[in-house]
Amino acid sequence: MFIRDAECISPNNVFHNPMLDAFSRAAVSADSSGSFIGGGELASLKSFIADGNKRLDAVNAITSNASCIVSDAVAGICCENTGLTAPNGGVYTNRKMAACLRDGEIVLRYVSYALLAGDASVLQDRCLNGLRETYAALGVPTGSAARAVAIMKAAASALITNTNSQPKKMALTSGDCASLSGEAASYFDMVISAIS
Amino acid sequence: MKSVITTVVGAADSASRFPTASDMESVQGSIQRASARLEAAEKLASNYDQVAQEAVDAVYAQYPNGATGRQPRKCATEGKEKCKRDFVHYLRLINYCLVTGGTGPLDELAINGQKEVYKALSIDAGTYVAGFSHIRSRGCAPRDMSAQALTAYNQLLDYVINSLG
Repeated sequence: MFIRDAECISPNNVFHNPMLDAFSRAAVSADSSGSFIGGGELASLKSFIADGNKRLDAVNAITSNASCIVSDAVAGICCENTGLTAPNGGVYTNRKMAACLRDGEIVLRYVSYALLAGDASVLQDRCLNGLRETYAALGVPTGSAARAVAIMKAAASALITNTNSQPKKMALTSGDCASLSGEAASYFDMVISAIS
Repeated sequence: MKSVITTVVGAADSASRFPTASDMESVQGSIQRASARLEAAEKLASNYDQVAQEAVDAVYAQYPNGATGRQPRKCATEGKEKCKRDFVHYLRLINYCLVTGGTGPLDELAINGQKEVYKALSIDAGTYVAGFSHIRSRGCAPRDMSAQALTAYNQLLDYVINSLG
């Protein structure tokens, strides 16, 4: 009704799409039809609240093991494809390897934000938007990058459901975290489809 | 749209760090209070029409000639309908604010520029204050909703009243 476009060009608002979470997503979609938020939408938000602790534990499972998840994934693609570390390979030279590790951590960080918010907008707008073009320009082998993300996805799923084989299991009350694990997997899949 | 979670994530992103334990605590605190907010949102979503009607009646009791102070008979019905439409609009945004847990929807979709608009249209903002003040005094716990939910609801009504003052 009274939207002002001035804020779109303000230097403080670099991102044209505002970041959303599960709650503000409901408000934005209700506003597009001018309706109140009731019944069905509220039910899904109530389950978000009811499972809030599970969600925070899931985010913690990723963030507390971030370094392991990333380095395992990058080491994994190098084992699977020895050409990567050979001269002219994708991660030949320490500089490229360091960039690869850094990018893995960035992707994992945005996935953890999306999981915390319960919405993919932060991942899409701030990480994936333009990533394919950037990788094409830099000559990053997207197949290997996608494979690294897939390994991170498997590791994150195992950590969230606390079914990882490593000794670093969390002392948690066991509960059904299948839906959260699935949600995290969907964010990793977004990354994979965005770059491949 | 601003909420506790997007603020936390935005701050973490500015520092390029993973969400920390204190970030999680902030989110947890917001989630704990969220059920009361959602209760208020639910009650408002099912009763907004009646609430808006009461506000319109309160406005016209205090301002018989309506918000623009024109002759009452000419367009009394139309004026009341528009008045109610505006109250429903504000209530809908209050509903969104209750869901998001911040004042973002009200700020972005109503309050930014409202004074200029009402001035340009010769609408007396005091009429809205009269209506919202009436709504503000009508809520009753536990008849309408729980005390915590009513607090969240009244907080937003006060926010709107202050923005119109």
